[in-house]
Amino acid sequence: MTKYAVELKDLCRTFKTRAVKGTRKKQLVTALDGVDLRIKEGELFGLLGPNGAGKTTIIKILSTLLFPTSGEAKVLGYDVMKESHKIRKVINMVSGGESSGYGLLTVDENLWMFTQFYGMPGKVARKRIDALLRIMELEEKRNVKVRTLSTGMRQKTNMIRGFMTDPSVIFLDEPTLGLDVNAARMIRKFIKNWIRAKPERTVLLTTHYMMEADELCDRVAIINEGKVLACDTPENLKRLVAQESTLKLEIRLVKDIRAFENIKGVKHFTYDHNINAGLTKLKFILDDDAIVSDIVSAVPKSGSKIVSVEKVEPTLEDVFVTLVGRGLVNDI
Amino acid sequence: MAIKQNLRTMKWAAWLGWQMESNWADPFLFIVYSVAKPIAGSLILVVMYTIIAQLGGDTDPALFSFMYIGNAFFMYVMLLLWHVTWVIHDDREHFQTMRYIYIAPFNYFIYILGRTISNIVITTFGVIITLVFGVFVLGVDIPLGAINWPLFVIVMVIGLIGIMAFGLALAGISFITAKHSMGMNEGIGGIFYLFCGVIFPVSVLPGWGIAFAKILPTTYWLDMIRRTMGVGAGVDPALAGVSMTSSLLILCISTVAISIFAVLIFKLGDYIARSKGLIDMTTAY
Amino acid sequence: MIFEDYEKPTWLRMNLRAVVGRAYPRIIGANREPSWVFFETFLPILAVSAYVYFYTAMNAPDQFIGYVIIGGAMTAYWMNVLWSMAAQWFWEKEMGNLELFLIAPISRMAILGGMALGGMFTSTVRALSTMIAGILLFGVAFSLHDPLMFIGIFVFTMLALYGMGMMFASLYMLWGREAWHMSNLLTEPIYLASGFYFPIKGFVHILGQPGFWVAAGASIIPITLGLDAMRQVLYPAEVDGFLPLWVELLALVLLTGIFLILAKLSLEHMEKVAKREGRLTMRWQ
Repeated sequence: MTKYAVELKDLCRTFKTRAVKGTRKKQLVTALDGVDLRIKEGELFGLLGPNGAGKTTIIKILSTLLFPTSGEAKVLGYDVMKESHKIRKVINMVSGGESSGYGLLTVDENLWMFTQFYGMPGKVARKRIDALLRIMELEEKRNVKVRTLSTGMRQKTNMIRGFMTDPSVIFLDEPTLGLDVNAARMIRKFIKNWIRAKPERTVLLTTHYMMEADELCDRVAIINEGKVLACDTPENLKRLVAQESTLKLEIRLVKDIRAFENIKGVKHFTYDHNINAGLTKLKFILDDDAIVSDIVSAVPKSGSKIVSVEKVEPTLEDVFVTLVGRGLVNDI
Repeated sequence: MAIKQNLRTMKWAAWLGWQMESNWADPFLFIVYSVAKPIAGSLILVVMYTIIAQLGGDTDPALFSFMYIGNAFFMYVMLLLWHVTWVIHDDREHFQTMRYIYIAPFNYFIYILGRTISNIVITTFGVIITLVFGVFVLGVDIPLGAINWPLFVIVMVIGLIGIMAFGLALAGISFITAKHSMGMNEGIGGIFYLFCGVIFPVSVLPGWGIAFAKILPTTYWLDMIRRTMGVGAGVDPALAGVSMTSSLLILCISTVAISIFAVLIFKLGDYIARSKGLIDMTTAY
Repeated sequence: MIFEDYEKPTWLRMNLRAVVGRAYPRIIGANREPSWVFFETFLPILAVSAYVYFYTAMNAPDQFIGYVIIGGAMTAYWMNVLWSMAAQWFWEKEMGNLELFLIAPISRMAILGGMALGGMFTSTVRALSTMIAGILLFGVAFSLHDPLMFIGIFVFTMLALYGMGMMFASLYMLWGREAWHMSNLLTEPIYLASGFYFPIKGFVHILGQPGFWVAAGASIIPITLGLDAMRQVLYPAEVDGFLPLWVELLALVLLTGIFLILAKLSLEHMEKVAKREGRLTMRWQ
């Protein structure tokens, strides 16, 4: 039987906002509207959605900071409503763009303080902090006050805080928000290595960055206005919007293109001769990727040679735009 | 143009302060800041006085009025000084908006003054309610007909300028100091409470204390307030020899001096904070 | 990366570690910003001295100066409860730490206990400096005949007081600034009701039978009985205690139990309500 790290069944959450000036009526805002999700133990699961889609609300519910209005939410089989104390022992959370602890304390002191909230013995805490500081390349900054750190360093400290308790399930809410390329890359690499090292570790990640979700996640759920619109592996999601794929070839200039015209499985074929460059550009829309080899083997038959081959894949961005009706860029 | 811009800043800052701390439209806040705190503060002294009176101490109705009026008007000093420090620490560490306010194209100096205006309004309510409570419930003798209103208003305005100047100096210091729970807020007012003849005559202080009291404008301000109201005459021998005109002159000169000093301290605090990168530091622990 | 596993601590040990963990920044933070020494030792003495001089101006019996000094010293703990523990919850919420505390598998009381313990360091320095100032500046003489009783009273006053503070902190789970105003409300009115600067038996002398009920009502706040009992221990011959000493100690023990239980229940209840309403980690309230 599959063990789920996270289970959400028909999860709803509404918020009452303060009455609008001039009226006594409080408004009801729906943050989550019947969310169903199951995240398997060991999965690196991504939640993709624009601002206000409900991603952080899900994380708050799962990390025992918020009750759902209705529905069910479980972490490693523990109910968020009734078994918060059991959940807290196995989770941790890191939010991007936030600093934790006290600016007056050093990196080392801040991290030590948080280990004490998990009852970690001093020596164990020391070892774990040392190891993580090394991985995050923060060893030199260990005795520096947190308030003097750069955004990237602060976020790395925040990551260490979240991971040093070795949580079975960790919630990462936009962990690379506002970071430079190197810092973001280091954090992504760390997350990947973390989950690979122990199969029972689970990561639930929310992100704005499509590439990040594509690179890291085993499965991704696209969420908008409190509803899950799609949930699958990035590859399958991409197939949702592109049942057909596109193959582009550049070959040495040929006069006779008949060898490419009647290949079975090609839905559409166009070509363009570039006499100055001595190249012919071919574009095929395919029903099935399996016929790529037929196309490639047709090149020598035409008396030409391949210069370049490019298979144009749909991106998660395309999936997102198709499902949500707009891109993420507009929301940032 | 600059004046117009500064006035707009002050108006906006006053509105902001009103929304955040005062707002009489909220009955709870009105009760807290204009009724409960001022009246309770005065009643502490009333109970102390009454206990000693019952024990046969050296009590005199003139001392009672002296103490009551002094304490009521001292609210301006206490709350304004408290408020200025609070604004800096609140913006810097709590809302963390200091950096944005600081870089805005208006004078931060004016912003602080604006924020204190709402505080003056709410304190005025507290002072009036305390005085009314004193007159009607405790029998404090304030001869309304004998009050020299024009002089009272002049003294009030000069006094408030002096207090705001102290507030600005404190704002400069707040730029470079950490937030220590309520330490600075409640503490600084203590200097004036002790040395300015607020609840007891300055003459009770040791010699060096009297000398120090005589260089503080607040001492003369409170003395003039009492004199214009015709209350507590002759209670303080240390100031009895100073004529009304002399008092007013000293008040004016010391207010100007304090204002210049305050601007310098504010600018120095601002300069040090920027040099050391303390403008948006967080020090809460 | 695989971490070496460790034996999971018992509930008690885990929470004790959390207490130490949260107390650490309080103690270290204070020492890293040494300006607190000025704000927490020198400044508070000033306001206390003003009350001393008020009694002096009335030629009050000597022991009243001692009463003021004891009250002044104990304000340090009351301020610590109000501002460094209860209101600190609000501060932590705004800084983003509260949610990290709340997702940890520890009791909320352990976090608050850590704040209290850490804050007691500066509070005790402040209280001691006030006592020393009283002895050196005003010649106050205490006669500690029963040190065990004094320790018992102090310990139970602190436990009950901090239990009450934890209860207040629960309000901050749900509210932000509203609860902050509530803390503000609990300064001067509590100084009055709890007799920080006079013995609460004074209410009975001034108001008669209703005064007894005022003092009895104020005794719900542990510091009221704590102060009265301390004055009885330190001035056994002079003070007119509100209730017999042993009754006050017993009441403090009871209040300790009641407040600690109420704190636990209210923290749990308010957390549930706040999680239901979505206000637990809502900022800028």
